[in-house]
Amino acid sequence: MSTDTPLKPKFYKTEVKPVWCPGCGHFAVLSAVTKALAYLALPRKDVAMVSGIGCSSRLPAYVSVYGFHGVHGRALAVASGLKAARPELTVLVAGGDGDGFSIGGNHFLHACRRNMDMTYIVMDNEVYGMTKGQASPTTAPDWAESKLTPHGPGVPSFNPAAIALASGASFIARGFTGDPNGLAKLLVAAIEHPGFSFVQGLSPCTTYRPEQKEWKNIVRPFELEPTADPVEAAHRIQADDGMSTGLLYQSRIPVWQPENLVSTQVDQLERGFQV
Amino acid sequence: MNAKDPQVIDTLAEFMTHAIALENESVERYEELADSMEVHNNPEVAKLFRKLAHFGELHAREIKSHADGMTLPQILPWDFKWSTPEGPESGPMQEVHYMMNRRQAIEYALHNEEAGRDFYAAVAENSPRAEVREMAAEFAAEENEHVDILKSWLLNLVDPESVRPEDLDPPNIPE
Repeated sequence: MSTDTPLKPKFYKTEVKPVWCPGCGHFAVLSAVTKALAYLALPRKDVAMVSGIGCSSRLPAYVSVYGFHGVHGRALAVASGLKAARPELTVLVAGGDGDGFSIGGNHFLHACRRNMDMTYIVMDNEVYGMTKGQASPTTAPDWAESKLTPHGPGVPSFNPAAIALASGASFIARGFTGDPNGLAKLLVAAIEHPGFSFVQGLSPCTTYRPEQKEWKNIVRPFELEPTADPVEAAHRIQADDGMSTGLLYQSRIPVWQPENLVSTQVDQLERGFQV
Repeated sequence: MNAKDPQVIDTLAEFMTHAIALENESVERYEELADSMEVHNNPEVAKLFRKLAHFGELHAREIKSHADGMTLPQILPWDFKWSTPEGPESGPMQEVHYMMNRRQAIEYALHNEEAGRDFYAAVAENSPRAEVREMAAEFAAEENEHVDILKSWLLNLVDPESVRPEDLDPPNIPE
């Protein structure tokens, strides 16, 4: 028996056992990321994954590429610095809805606007899971299961795709962890896209949001082909309930990559700190 | 997402690639679940998933032996002709829970085996090639045996399984 398959997704998995709850959607993101990397046959030394804090931000520990588990909300800032210094690397950024849209919200806006060539995967389960289930920016206003918000957050939820579009992102997609292969395909397109690619992964939290098991009956593919027209994309995103999946918007705009003209040696840096 | 309805598999090589992927992915899923249950201190269910992974491994080996000497095509994960989001025997991840008991775990496995059997049965019915239909019918019969084994496990299970044990670290604590 022979095949011409060069790499298996397993090649990109570490030996570290995920601590996610059994049933967590994030397992499917891990599967999708490794399938995408295997398809693209990217050498592990040429890929870096950066994350913030939260359940989803554990991802770099489980993917066998360079990893940086950063501080809360700062994954995109760290990743931007990395991409600026090492433009040849494929930079993946992972995090959750709390990390990315609350404390990291400002970085999200400017990462979209800057359009550096990196891929941001947000595992959106509409809850802070690691701290035992509080409302996040994408939580519905009437979700009343947390003692911190006994009557629900009471404010409209954040629409990540709309914010990404308004901030200038050039690639906006939404996937679902109940369809890991579809998510893998989206990630391949996102990684291949020249510029900032944003992938919102609907990833049910089995522990704090068990009702999200129903998402499998609600999620469906976008009926329309992706558009490159931001006005049309805005209309579609606003008209959607946030449960349609696929590539929503893709445009070609200049990628921002600072030129590293000055190279500083370590001894020069050290001299600068001498007292 | 993969198609809801079974698609036609034309060649024996294509069929064997599907069968091998089905079994391999199933083994990986059970290994992943076993690891996960160990991490979450559910050793009985972890042991059960590990056992299922072992049986899956044996079956995968047997399936691969049918493909000896064949050149198999590379099929991308999203191009497999499943009618389920993943391979039919890779059960939905969202259907497990860290407090699940052995009965629930066997029921989960039973669902997976039935889905595998149904996949092979559909190929046995729909493929235009006699050799594919024949091999698929053989695999469907094997899966049916696995279904019967799991049903017997359920019948022989003696533990009081209907109630989950108390969760000493419940998800929603007062803040």
